[in-house]
Amino acid sequence: MHPSIKESILEKKDEIVEQWLEEIEQFRYEDYLQNISDSVYRSTNREFVDKIFETVDLCSDDVYERISQYSERLIQLGWPLNYITRGLQSFRQITVETLSNTGDNYCYDIEFYQEIESWIDNLINALVSDYSGSWENTVFSQKMALKELSAPLIPVFDEICVMPLIGTIDSERAKLIMENLLEGVIENRAQVVLIDITGVPVVDTMVAHHIIQAAEAVRLVGAECILVGIRPEIAQTVVNLGIDLGKFSTKSTLKKGMATALKMTDREIVDLASK
Amino acid sequence: MRIPILKLYDYLLISIQVELDDQTVLQFQEDVLNKIHQEGSRGVVIDLTSVEMVDSYIAKVLGDVVDMSKLMGAKVVLTGIQPSVAITLIDMGITLEDVATALDLEQGLEKLQRELEG
Repeated sequence: MHPSIKESILEKKDEIVEQWLEEIEQFRYEDYLQNISDSVYRSTNREFVDKIFETVDLCSDDVYERISQYSERLIQLGWPLNYITRGLQSFRQITVETLSNTGDNYCYDIEFYQEIESWIDNLINALVSDYSGSWENTVFSQKMALKELSAPLIPVFDEICVMPLIGTIDSERAKLIMENLLEGVIENRAQVVLIDITGVPVVDTMVAHHIIQAAEAVRLVGAECILVGIRPEIAQTVVNLGIDLGKFSTKSTLKKGMATALKMTDREIVDLASK
Repeated sequence: MRIPILKLYDYLLISIQVELDDQTVLQFQEDVLNKIHQEGSRGVVIDLTSVEMVDSYIAKVLGDVVDMSKLMGAKVVLTGIQPSVAITLIDMGITLEDVATALDLEQGLEKLQRELEG
């Protein structure tokens, strides 16, 4: 930055800070910042403006470095990105206004505006990229967690496994379900697999198609599929949509399905007390 | 390339351990039917554990072998179909609906025994 511009910015620092603090106090009520206490809000504002002035004589690489620690803390505390961008925008406005009021000649130069623009833009870029990076991380880790939870196959008895499905089924998940199902059947040497759809909110033609495909694939590798957990509303939609689930057996609850599965493998649960 | 067909009491055991092509699978069809005729077998187990790829033609011929054997009075069980094979077959819309399947040779033989004797 041009030394004379920097000098006059630093000269007017107190004035700019005063105005900016006033300005930022106003949009506190519009954002999601109401439940933050006054003292925390003030100290954060003060720290923010100090950080801004710290970066005044740094090149862009140093700005990133300097600002990333600060932004990390803001992200952890859950400050909205809105606060940052609006804060910086109004800071730029106030700085330009304050300096142009001094009446010095250079204030009318295009160069002067460009210097201030690039200074503030650099800051915004650094902060926004930190924020979006942290969001992307969150989305990624949640996606992984969802994937891990999406299709577990649980062996409950010899030759009997259960796959409880919870949540919406899309094509990607259906593929995963199919793979886990087939590999699990072979690994556990299962004869019967119960697919429990109690936790699936909607069964449309697509979901039904995926389930039918999975059941047929299971039959090809040499086991049987029983579809359990069919709620009344699911039975209604399935029939209304004209989906044919007649090829494999269906039961209303996992309990009944388990009884059927035991019967298919020539076993039953016996009450010891009655003997 | 001919696929060996083993006779075990009333059954025929066939383990396919080569990648099937059109020629081989037709030869196989003929051999199985001849062998059933020759030995008067009541059951056939075809083990596909080492088969990693099945195209629509091979699937059709295998289905035909099952139907033809049934006509000759022998029940066929396909065993050991790999997950990847099952997925391709389903994707192609081939469900082999009337064909009995089992997880492996052991369970295939048990299934045959149950159905033929019980």
